[in-house]
Amino acid sequence: MRARGHGAARRRVTVGALIAALLALPAVIGALPASDAAVPAAELRSRALATDSLGFSGYAVSAGSLALPVTDQLSSVADLFSNRTSMRVWWRGPADNRVDVVTPAGETGTHRGPGATWTWEYETATATRAAANPLELPAPPDLLPSSLGHRLLSEAVDSELSRIGARRVAGRDTLGLRLTPAAAAASVSRVDVWIDAGTGLPLQVEVVEKGARRPAMDTRFLDLDLAVPAPETTAFTPPPGASVREGREAEVVLEAGRRVRPVELPAELAGLPRRRLDGVPPGIGLYGSGVTLLAVAPVPHDLADGLRNALSASPDAVVDELGTRVAAGPVALMIVQPPGRGPYVLTGTVTLDALASAAGRLPDLVNTP
Amino acid sequence: MIVVELRKMFRRPRTWATIAVLNALPLLVAVLLLLTDLAPRAGQGPPFLSAVLRNGALYPLAALAIVLPLFLPIAVAVVAGDSIAGEAQAGTLRYLLARPVGRTRLLVAKLVAVLAFVLVTVVVVAGVGYVIGSTLFDAQPIGGTSVSGTPLTSADLSGRTLLAIGYVAVSMLGVAAFALLFSTLTDSPLGATMGALAVLVASSLLFTLDAASPIAPYLPTRYWLAFVDLFRDPIQWRDITRGLALQGLYVGVLLAAAWANFTTKDITS
Amino acid sequence: MSAVITTSGLVKQYGRLRAVDGIDLDVQAGDVYGFLGANGSGKTTTVRMLLGLVLPTSGEIELLGERMPRAGRRVLPRVGALIEGPAHYGHLSGRENLSLLDAAGRGGSWRTRRRRVDHALDQVGLGGIGRRPVKAYSLGMQQRLGLAGALLRRPELLVLDEPTNGLDPQGISEVRELLLELHRGGTTVFLSSHLLAEVEQLCSRVVVLDRGRLVLQEELATLTAPTGCTVVHTPTPERVRGTLDGRVTSVDGERVIVRGSDPAEVNALLVGAGIPVSGLALERPTLEEVVLAAAGTSPDRVEARP
Repeated sequence: MRARGHGAARRRVTVGALIAALLALPAVIGALPASDAAVPAAELRSRALATDSLGFSGYAVSAGSLALPVTDQLSSVADLFSNRTSMRVWWRGPADNRVDVVTPAGETGTHRGPGATWTWEYETATATRAAANPLELPAPPDLLPSSLGHRLLSEAVDSELSRIGARRVAGRDTLGLRLTPAAAAASVSRVDVWIDAGTGLPLQVEVVEKGARRPAMDTRFLDLDLAVPAPETTAFTPPPGASVREGREAEVVLEAGRRVRPVELPAELAGLPRRRLDGVPPGIGLYGSGVTLLAVAPVPHDLADGLRNALSASPDAVVDELGTRVAAGPVALMIVQPPGRGPYVLTGTVTLDALASAAGRLPDLVNTP
Repeated sequence: MIVVELRKMFRRPRTWATIAVLNALPLLVAVLLLLTDLAPRAGQGPPFLSAVLRNGALYPLAALAIVLPLFLPIAVAVVAGDSIAGEAQAGTLRYLLARPVGRTRLLVAKLVAVLAFVLVTVVVVAGVGYVIGSTLFDAQPIGGTSVSGTPLTSADLSGRTLLAIGYVAVSMLGVAAFALLFSTLTDSPLGATMGALAVLVASSLLFTLDAASPIAPYLPTRYWLAFVDLFRDPIQWRDITRGLALQGLYVGVLLAAAWANFTTKDITS
Repeated sequence: MSAVITTSGLVKQYGRLRAVDGIDLDVQAGDVYGFLGANGSGKTTTVRMLLGLVLPTSGEIELLGERMPRAGRRVLPRVGALIEGPAHYGHLSGRENLSLLDAAGRGGSWRTRRRRVDHALDQVGLGGIGRRPVKAYSLGMQQRLGLAGALLRRPELLVLDEPTNGLDPQGISEVRELLLELHRGGTTVFLSSHLLAEVEQLCSRVVVLDRGRLVLQEELATLTAPTGCTVVHTPTPERVRGTLDGRVTSVDGERVIVRGSDPAEVNALLVGAGIPVSGLALERPTLEEVVLAAAGTSPDRVEARP
């Protein structure tokens, strides 16, 4: 007699072992070590910055936990920083690329070409053409690890950089580069950029704010193909039946900036020096560099009131005699309206204390409209 | 044996009633859409539904997207949950096994019958969707627009629709395998169906939860909507291949468990 | 004669309960075998183990000379079974049900399937059944259909569990005739029942189970053989005792048991003494008495513990 009970037990154990092996497989693969290389931090940075025109395509995911308290006009920008965004990217160069933000039921494609940027929204079947502009609102392409890594590393100084080992990203070995901002006003405690060991392309960027352990922003490639994509892939022609319009969002913002009467802003705020950028209206003051940036602009009363209401609705808002301020992760925002003076907006990747000290040094506004 | 199971399945009035109910929802949605002309807002509602007003040729996909989250898996869970437990409850299981039908053979035949049901159901939903789309909406005979905003020819569109039909059918395999496993564990078809639906609801819930993101790639419902990726240009295969692999994994693991249980089980019903 | 069913030391354990506790069955070809036992005595579990539905905890089963459940694929097509009442697909007709059952297993060409199904239906008296779905059948018709399913393969061994359940008296008698006819044709019948009368009328050998144990396995003729006493019915039992002093073993109303296996001799003595005799017979134990003596109380009873 075959021992029946024994046979049944063996069968169950075999199946159980099979299932356990299958479940353990991803963990085993994830634990595969990445090989490190002795590349100094400064050299790694210059290697990363040299990849600006490298062609590639891939799939990236960015996860942000920054709930920006902004008004409806800028909600698409706010979504960018507070949500999980999946992006497909085809990159032929800084002026010829395509980034599709993929949603379960549709997608929003940004096709950047020479002279103009097309934005395609599937669900509304709208194609929007925006002329190239020196100052653009944050858009999905800016969240790509490659773009964000370049941007954050470009103004870093060597003393802020250190090496932090290696890790596997998108199935490739990457070398870690840590940026620790030197400025006291910085709200970001560190930025970890994981740079492809072979090409120098940043494949993952993690932004960690002061006092936090988990990154406020984490963007990484999941798939990467280093072949240069075909030009047809990045080009865009509005399909038949689509509604085509001109995009003016950036211009609206700039226009608002130009309407502000220029005031003489201090050369330094919160310990950050003032800087000049092309296309920025003279009424808007930009301070700091790299990861630590502060923007100051005098604003009309009605806009200030709207923003103040939006800010006050946040449970973390601080309201005192200096104004209303709130921090969303490393990004801080403040409306200043001391009695008898015109309103200002201050925002940037600085601490709330730095914002408050900057607010106290703003000049009086005369004749604000 | 497979032929016998197919005969049983498709001679059963309930099978056709289920398929009819599945088609009622897309029809209702189409009529409401036509009467009110209110397309769902961007980012809301099932995929392709807003695009249907522009091109009726997409209605088969919209119909699939409508039944995919709930109706289709429920129907699959009912049929698959009934497969072994229903025979046990009716008492016919003991006669089948004493006939004799090998237990492994019976399990495989049941799975094939469930697969046939899934395929027939999906094809019928898409077919009815096509009829609805071409009669109630303006269909563009020249083709359509991909999700990425590039033009698609008619041949492209129908080819990709066929792929989508296949993908949706495969997506249901996980649910079917869960229901089949539970069906071998209990003598109550309702219990097996409910068990599979509980898995489904839990999976859908966990999918929306950030804290569950480490296990999200293993949730059976994770890649269901990936059929939309077939209509991007170029096609995004990443989630589709993962979805297929995941469903294959579920079917393999759950079927192995069902087999281990069923072939060593005392039939006391 | 060859063994059709042989089990040795058959045990089925459910948790702490031993449903079947070391049963040794021996069914020979040509037997009509009565399998008796109260509810819960392990009858059903044993039948299911014979057919490979329930897997034994230990012990061996040989069916038609081959080891079960390993040889089920070869053996079971030669066995027809009715297990705990019939079961069918209610939405299909009886004919379709049989046809599906026939097609489900191997053996038998689909060309001759229709003939086989018709023949089985004829055998159980459902030859004229139409396209009605089975759910509209009466209990008796379903029972007949179940029997037809068991007969479909022209089995060498019929394992029947309560085959006359739900039948009216005419139906019972028809089924009994059918079984006897099959038996004459060489089919071995293994009849599990708790209807003693049914078993008594049909069976040549009897097995009694009690709480999972085999308490009796014997020829029916031996069990109900004359005891060597004569039963006398008389209106004056006390006068019998006076006449046949010493030979009377018990008196129960007008029924007197007298030692002596020749009723004629007893009769002569009594009539000679002028005692009126209204009935006279050899004493034979009834199957009921045998079973009760062997099995004790019903396992359904749950006595309060003292």
